[in-house]
Amino acid sequence: MWFKTRSSALGDFEQLILLGVLRLDEDAYGAAIRQEIHARSGRDVSINAVYTTLDRLERKGLLRSWVGEPTAQRGGRRRKFYALRPSGMAALRQAYHSFTEMADGLQSRLSLTKGVK
Amino acid sequence: MRSAPPRLAVWLLTQRLSNAWRDFVIGDLEEEYQTRRLRSPLAARSWFWRQTVRCLIAPPPVHYTPGAAEASSGDSHMLTLIADLRYAARVIRRAPSFAVAVISVLAIGIGANTALFSIVNAVLLRPLPFDQPEQLVRLFTKPPQTSAASVPIFGLSPGKFYDWQRNSTSFEGMALYRFRQFALSGSGSARAIVAGAVGAGFFETLHAQPARGRVFLPEEDTPAGKHVAIVSDRFWNSELGAAPDVVGRTLTLDDEAYTIVGVMPARATVPAWEVMASDIWVPIALTEEQRGVRSNHNQRGFARLKPGVTVEQAQAEMDAISARLAQEFPASDGRWGAVVMPMREEIVGDSRGMLVMLLGAVALVLLIACANVGNLLFTRALTRRKELAIRSALGAGRGRVFQQLLTEAVVYAAMGGALGLVLAAATLSSVSTVLANQIPRAAEITIDGRVLLFAIAASLLTGILAGTLPAVRAGRADVNDALKEGGRGDAAVGVGTRRLLIICEVALSLVLLMSAGVMIQSLLALRQSNTGFDLSNVLTMEVSLVATRYQTPAQRTAFYDAALQRIRALPGVEAAATIDDLPLLDGSSQTLALEGSTAPAQSDPVAVQVRQITPGYLETMRIPLLRGRNIAESDSDVLLVSREAAKLYWGTDDPIGRRAALPMISRTMFREVVGIVGDVKQRDLADSFTPTVYYYSRDRSWGGATFVIRTSVPPATLAQPATAAIHAIDPQQPVQNVQTMERIRDERLSSQRLSALLLGVFAGIALLLASVGIYSVVSYIVRGRSREIGIRAALGARTSDVLGLVIVEGMTPTLIGIVVGTIAAFAAARILERLVFGVSPYDAVTLVAVAVTLGAVALVACMVPAYRAAQLDPLKVLRES
Repeated sequence: MWFKTRSSALGDFEQLILLGVLRLDEDAYGAAIRQEIHARSGRDVSINAVYTTLDRLERKGLLRSWVGEPTAQRGGRRRKFYALRPSGMAALRQAYHSFTEMADGLQSRLSLTKGVK
Repeated sequence: MRSAPPRLAVWLLTQRLSNAWRDFVIGDLEEEYQTRRLRSPLAARSWFWRQTVRCLIAPPPVHYTPGAAEASSGDSHMLTLIADLRYAARVIRRAPSFAVAVISVLAIGIGANTALFSIVNAVLLRPLPFDQPEQLVRLFTKPPQTSAASVPIFGLSPGKFYDWQRNSTSFEGMALYRFRQFALSGSGSARAIVAGAVGAGFFETLHAQPARGRVFLPEEDTPAGKHVAIVSDRFWNSELGAAPDVVGRTLTLDDEAYTIVGVMPARATVPAWEVMASDIWVPIALTEEQRGVRSNHNQRGFARLKPGVTVEQAQAEMDAISARLAQEFPASDGRWGAVVMPMREEIVGDSRGMLVMLLGAVALVLLIACANVGNLLFTRALTRRKELAIRSALGAGRGRVFQQLLTEAVVYAAMGGALGLVLAAATLSSVSTVLANQIPRAAEITIDGRVLLFAIAASLLTGILAGTLPAVRAGRADVNDALKEGGRGDAAVGVGTRRLLIICEVALSLVLLMSAGVMIQSLLALRQSNTGFDLSNVLTMEVSLVATRYQTPAQRTAFYDAALQRIRALPGVEAAATIDDLPLLDGSSQTLALEGSTAPAQSDPVAVQVRQITPGYLETMRIPLLRGRNIAESDSDVLLVSREAAKLYWGTDDPIGRRAALPMISRTMFREVVGIVGDVKQRDLADSFTPTVYYYSRDRSWGGATFVIRTSVPPATLAQPATAAIHAIDPQQPVQNVQTMERIRDERLSSQRLSALLLGVFAGIALLLASVGIYSVVSYIVRGRSREIGIRAALGARTSDVLGLVIVEGMTPTLIGIVVGTIAAFAAARILERLVFGVSPYDAVTLVAVAVTLGAVALVACMVPAYRAAQLDPLKVLRES
């Protein structure tokens, strides 16, 4: 495995995935998350990476999942939806705080016109 | 609208992904694929594939929970395959020289097959480059099938064509065409050019749109119509500098101005169909009188079937129309029929049989390569017996070992196939120019998707074929035995299988050698066949007088007289004359009308070849005068008949002094027969002698003729002086097709030469592979029995005994192979029967020669290991074991 599975700190890609799940609310499944990340961060990630990470986050207890109904658009295949568990929300909050704290006051040196919101 | 994502990719994903993920991942991909393909289907596919590859490399993980083991069969298959592939790669890296040997044998086999298949693909399989080509048909007339010498199909007469066009309903369009010689002048000296003279509706029926300008208007297809022309893209580029304002400019053809009204696009040029290979098209513009001609079949025609109409339906309709016309015009149409032939069939013609035969031959080469590689893999598998035994001991089932060895064989075959494809591509690019005049559609030979697919399929099949036997036999090896130290059992393993491989190789080689031998003999027989005239030292050249400058028969006669006089005066010229159509190249055939005969000419037609000659022709071609006298300058309108023609028309009567009319020239003018001459092959070398009537008229009714010049020096050296002699009379007169009669003969044989050459090459490869196979098998057997041979030598066996022992070992399967091969060759002879001339495909002498050659090669291949065996030092061998 490329990541240390025990670590409670979130990796960069894990953060993107969790934010994607949060954004999509009730409609968070692989393809939608992939597209959301692509649209917002510009990273064109592969579907296997998305699911590998979702799976890891679920096993860490940060996400929960359920299986939807098959649709014609998907050639009669089912979807697997994800949602944040409270611990996932907490981990995300934690990650956000550490990032903003570390970045605070560096906006000008990073040549950012807008501060981190 | 839904459209499925790439099926192969989905299948691969299904195999690779575990049950836990399959639905979600593939479903997600397909869902996004559907949105993406609305923007760009191509980009969507490529995206799908990229995603697939990434999933195949690193699929989402699977977590086994005890008690809930899922049956993910696909996953395990895929993993095993990957493991096997990795292992195969390691095996190849460990023994690179072995791999090189195997891969090069396979590359030769697969490469030769791929190259030949790309020819077959271009000629036989790929559709013609027209819009809906399956609707296009050629139209022919079918002459009454009475005389033995009758031709199966004929061109069209305008009268019949226009009746067909008026009466038929099966066709969307129908057009008449022919070829016209023009002298194209303008910049520099005039040159001869063959233009397509096309009837109204020609391009419309073809569905060919001009790139610039327009096609011909119906009113231009009349003698009163303006002189207009359409040019090809090639002509527009090379001669007209790709000028954008070309429409409206003029071309000078036969000293007359033709206005260019259109330019055809490059894709309209079709090298395989003469009329669309032209550079210039003009309207055929027949006069009212010409349109009514019913008995002169010198036009060509094609048509396009209406959608949904089959060739058979069209043929049935044309049969009915022909029957009606036969009643209406009994003199000219009685017993004549119509033939509707798919255009592809017409273009591909005779090459089909030859190509299928060659494809069969090259497949045999691949089989021999398979047998060789099978043998090599087998040997290799045996040297790895210990390794395989360990695998078995650790729990690998026989199936597992089989699968792994088969995977290795397929990996070798895939690499051989890739190399073979490169070889094929390299040869084809250089070969297609050579093939250009030998087979139809040669210009279209390329490696396309279908060829690629063929190469892949051939490689896979080869791998499976070559790998199965060794894999089965090796999988059967006894673990206990193999793991024992010393492994002395080696000698006994698989000797029977190897003998079987030798038998196969020898038998297949014999079939190929036999076919090649027969084909080469057929070619030689054709080359040396008696043509009835002497083709050595004859130069020929064609002149087609510019109609506008030579309008009267007297002008034309004067030109040819002057030209012959000058040519005869050249040093090195023994004799010279002219003829309208050269022997071997076919020409006009007519039905003579005998004077005083009451029977109407057409009711019992016996067609003979009719040629217009000048005095001196017989001497130039060295055709013997059998009786009577030769024609002379002082003659006017006399006939010479060949022996066969005399027999055909006058039977046992003496034709000399009798008179006959040539109905296509004049029905009322009877000419006297003055002599009987030897027969000549007018149509084809493989034909029998053609009954021929020669006539001589002072007045030339048309301006084209071919000079024949007998030389005392090499004929090609006179090409330049003879051309100069024509230009001395008229510098603006083009001269074309300056070539020797021998060259013409050789060109007539080009397809036979090609098949003989290819079969020879294939047989050579087969012989080489078979000898290598025999050598390696016998060496292997010697190695295995070295102990036994050592004991024999120690007990006093002489060198010759040992040699004999080994040679018997190798020659026994060879001899069995020769017997089996003979039986197979007789079966193959049925295919060759229709392709050979002057030699039986069952020819016993060839068979014996081939068998002896094979035996000798096998003997040499045995000698090397046999000699090595005889040199064995008994002490050393016995000590080692």
